[in-house]
Amino acid sequence: MNDDRIDELLAQGARDYNEPGPIPRDEMWARIQASRRAAPVVPVRHDARSSRPIWMWSSVGIAAALILAAGITIGRRVERATPTSVAPVAVTPIVAQPTRDSAPATRATTVANRDSLIGKLREQTNNTNRRARELANAQDRTTGAPAETNLAYHLVVLQHLAGSEAMITAFRTAARRGEMDAQLATWSRELLSTTRMLESSAATQDPTMKRLLEDLDLVISQIVQYVTHGTNNSEDLDLIEQSITTRGVITKLRGTASARNSAAGT
Amino acid sequence: MTDAADAQPNSQPHPRLFDRQLVARCLAQDALAERALYDAHVDRIYRLMYRMGGDADLAADFTQETFIRAFERLEQFRGDSSLATWLHTIAVSVALNGMRKVKRTQGRTETIDDVPSLAAEAFRFTGDLKARLHAAIDALSEKLRPVFVMHDVEGYTHEEIAGSLGIPVGTSKARLFDARAKLRIALAAFAGDHIA
Repeated sequence: MNDDRIDELLAQGARDYNEPGPIPRDEMWARIQASRRAAPVVPVRHDARSSRPIWMWSSVGIAAALILAAGITIGRRVERATPTSVAPVAVTPIVAQPTRDSAPATRATTVANRDSLIGKLREQTNNTNRRARELANAQDRTTGAPAETNLAYHLVVLQHLAGSEAMITAFRTAARRGEMDAQLATWSRELLSTTRMLESSAATQDPTMKRLLEDLDLVISQIVQYVTHGTNNSEDLDLIEQSITTRGVITKLRGTASARNSAAGT
Repeated sequence: MTDAADAQPNSQPHPRLFDRQLVARCLAQDALAERALYDAHVDRIYRLMYRMGGDADLAADFTQETFIRAFERLEQFRGDSSLATWLHTIAVSVALNGMRKVKRTQGRTETIDDVPSLAAEAFRFTGDLKARLHAAIDALSEKLRPVFVMHDVEGYTHEEIAGSLGIPVGTSKARLFDARAKLRIALAAFAGDHIA
C-alpha cells in the first residue's frame, strides 16, 4: 500500500475518532452555576514578608551554590578554550548563607542575607544578559559563526540556564507560600529578556538547546505574568507547575548542568 | 478560532472587541453575558474534550471545569489572544491533568510514553483497521496527541493549536508531522495484510 492510500485511511479514520454525541449544554451549565455558587472566596494574600519562613530560602541558596559551581566550570573552560578576542563570562562567587535558624533575633539578618543573595543572582543574570548582547552585536558585524563565538554562546547559555534554574526554584518555593516580592518579579523579567535574546541567536543552532530555550520562554513568561499580577491564584500556579513538569524543564536544566560538569571534569 | 462556534452576531464589528465587551459584562455580574459566553464556546470545547477523553462523562467534567476556571479568572483575560484561544488553553490543561488523574486512578503504572507498547499488544488482537488507528491515536504521547486531535480530527489551525498549547507554530507543525509518521507506521504494519 502506498503512502497516499495510508494518508487517505488516516484522514478517514481520524474523522470519527472519539466521535462526540449530543452535547449536554444545560446540564453542564447547571453544574457550573452550582459549583460557582458553592465555591469559597479565597482571600488574596499580598506582601507577607514578615511571616516569610526562613527555610524556604535555603533552596535558593542551593541553587546559588550550583551557579557558583557552574561559574567556576565555565570560567575554567573559557580560560582553556577561548581566544583573547572572546571575553570570559563574568562570574562572581556567591556564598549561600545558612538559613535554617528560625530564631526571631536572626530573622532580620536572614532576610537581609536572602535579599543580598537574590541581588547577587540578579547581578549574574545581568552579566549574562550583557554578555549575550555583546555577542549578538559582534555577530552582526561579522559573517558566519566562528568556533570561538559558538563556544562563547554555549557558555553564556549554560550560565543563563543555571540562573533560570535558581529563579524557578526560588519562585516555586515562594509561590507555595503565596509570597512574592518585587525582586523576584524583576529577576524573572530579566531572565525572560535574556531567554528571548538567546532564542534569536546562534545559540539555537543546537536543536536541543533551541527546544530548551523555547520551553524556558514559556515557563518564565508564565512566571512573569504570575508575579506581576500578584494574585496568588492556585489555578495559575497549577498551569505553571504543569508547564514545568510536562516539559521536564528542571530535569533538562539539571541534565545540562551534569553534562557540563562531566565535560569539564568536575 | 474561526469556526461556527466562534461566529459572532453580525452587529459586532470585530471578534476581539466582542470578546472584551462580553468579558466586561461578565465581570459586571451580567448573567446573560455569562451564558452567552458559555453558549458561544461550549460546543467546540466539549467536542475537543470528548475527543481527548473518549468518554461523555469525562468530556462533561472537563468542560465544566474549564468554564468554572475561566469564570474564576476572567479578570485576567487581557485580550492579547482571542477569548476562544484563552479558553482552549485552560481546556487543554484541564484535559491533560484530568487524563493523568484517570490513569492514576485506574492503577496504570506505565507512563504515557510507554503506552505505544501496550497499543502494539492490542493490535495483535484487533482485526479492524479503524480500531487499530484509534488505538494508535490513543497511544500517541502527551505531546503529540493533542496536536493531532486538534488539527486532523477537529480541524484547528496551527496558529490556534500553538496559542492553546503555549508552543510555537513551528513546534505544532513538527509535532503533527511526528504524530502522522507514527500513525502511518502503525497503519502500514497492518494495512498491507488488511487491504491486500
